[in-house]
Amino acid sequence: MLMWFLPLFLVFLVIGLPVFFGLLAAPGLLLWLNGQERDIALLYRNVYNGMDSFPLMAIPFFMLAGELMNRGGITSRLVEFAQAIMGHLRGGLAHVNILSSMLFAGLSGSAVADTSALGSMLIPAMEKQGYTRRFAAAITAASSVIGPIIPPSGIMIIYAYVMGESVAALFLAGIVPGVMVGAGLMLMVKVMADRYDFPVASAKYSWRARGQASLKAFFPLMTPVIILGGILGGIFTPTEAAAVAVGYATFIGLFVLKSLKLQDLPQVLTKAAMTSSVVLLLVGAAMAFKTVVSLSHAPETLAAFILSLSENPLILLFLINILLFIVGMFLDAGPAIIILGPILGPIFISMGVDPVHFAIIMSVNLTVGLATPPMGLVLFVASSVSGERVDSIARAIIPFLLVEIFVIFLITYIPAISMTIPRLTGFVN
Amino acid sequence: MHALLTLLKPLQIFNDICGWFGRWISVIALALMVLIILLQVFCRYALNNALPWPDEAARFLMLWLTGLMAPIALRQGGFVAIETLTQFLPRRGVTLLTLFLFTVSLMVLCVAVKLGWKHVNSGWLFASASLKLPLQLIGLKAVKLKLAWMYLSLFVGAVLMIFATVELIIRQIITLGGEHRHLRDIPILDSESAQ
Repeated sequence: MLMWFLPLFLVFLVIGLPVFFGLLAAPGLLLWLNGQERDIALLYRNVYNGMDSFPLMAIPFFMLAGELMNRGGITSRLVEFAQAIMGHLRGGLAHVNILSSMLFAGLSGSAVADTSALGSMLIPAMEKQGYTRRFAAAITAASSVIGPIIPPSGIMIIYAYVMGESVAALFLAGIVPGVMVGAGLMLMVKVMADRYDFPVASAKYSWRARGQASLKAFFPLMTPVIILGGILGGIFTPTEAAAVAVGYATFIGLFVLKSLKLQDLPQVLTKAAMTSSVVLLLVGAAMAFKTVVSLSHAPETLAAFILSLSENPLILLFLINILLFIVGMFLDAGPAIIILGPILGPIFISMGVDPVHFAIIMSVNLTVGLATPPMGLVLFVASSVSGERVDSIARAIIPFLLVEIFVIFLITYIPAISMTIPRLTGFVN
Repeated sequence: MHALLTLLKPLQIFNDICGWFGRWISVIALALMVLIILLQVFCRYALNNALPWPDEAARFLMLWLTGLMAPIALRQGGFVAIETLTQFLPRRGVTLLTLFLFTVSLMVLCVAVKLGWKHVNSGWLFASASLKLPLQLIGLKAVKLKLAWMYLSLFVGAVLMIFATVELIIRQIITLGGEHRHLRDIPILDSESAQ
């Protein structure tokens, strides 16, 4: 009976019930029909217990930090810096868009924040230079996927929380994959630029001008150094690092760059608080959902099914990537990780896949899902920022998605891509 | 229809007021969370003296932030959902479907409130590990905070979400009756939906 909670949940999702209610209604209804009313109380308590967590607090803090940097004009300094380095290439602004996403990824852990911050600035600029609006929106959406792959990352904090992994190890493991996605997208832009004759953004910057742009971007670019350095050095926990990032961004914005005003703060805090409250409730509901998943013996059944398909881990990894990609099309990355992580993780870990490696495969795959229709949040944000329809952005993004899928398979089959940095720094044996 | 409009008005005012307080309490809570955690880091390194309470205090604030802010998000449609299906339905179909979805949400919330009340009451038995009301400052004995004060956050959140959902349901019924020109827009705080 309880096996039906997953199909029921999907039905709720497809008809448009908010994910939070779907996560509770589907298992709740089945438990009630099954006469297990006590377990419904368990469902409620697990929503609460799922939210009541110190590690999760990093999520509101990183959101706030990203919001502060955006409001404080830090984004524009990053874009200027990216332009000084890559603006003279053919397809200059497209490259600048990707590089800015990579830099912004070091400050924020959310693809949505990335899309809205960079999109509102770069999409109009790209249009002015003669790119089509849908191309500009597509490259913004595709590159903002890097946000949660390069640390800090909201999705990896959630993964570490659910699976009991080290946040630091996951953060480190994400660096190279994130850079690879960026590099892959740039290659694609280069191919397209030569073919469709994209414009250059600006004349080549002199080294002196480049130096000046770097100097202006110095304080923002120090943020990832502080966050990662602090976590790696054992100076503070990821949550504390996130709070320090908020303090740093406020200080820089108010006193050094003077681009943030005190009266901006309530608005910034409201925005971060609202986004966090929705995410935290979602995490709580997903944790509650997870307990019912384990009551239902679904993990064992699913594991048996997966193992019956093949015994070769390489083939299974291929199949799991396809599954994750499809799930990512419909479900937000956070809930997907909470629900599927505990089911899929143990199967692959017992086959000898490193837990950190699997975490990266899953996170990157589901993150790319943020830019795929019909449930690609990033596409919706890109659409609202640019005013272009979601389906026309979805068509324009296809070449970039292909690149990202290719990178997912590289990450899957070459563990060294994600594992080298955590191994060298001693966070993974 | 007139009765519904009359019913809607006080409900809207109630939700507006709760939204106003919820928003400002959350803003202050989030700012305090950052300050508390920074204080913790500062005390640990600069004063070499780790404080026992910041961890729990910050979680307390985070739970209340969630409980008070989520109803505002729900009211202005900030909960993540797939909206593809609505593109293929006629306008009346969309209204009916939305009405159905709100009803399902309302049922979930009602069960949550019932269970939440039990949860809160169980919380009077347990005291917080580190949070105390500093009554020693006014010459009394410090009292440990009961966990019920933390449990209350989700309960209050569910209650406020019921009010928000009822408002949304009434609005849909009025729309269904073709009287939506009488509806006033829901105040929107600037925000995107969640990542």
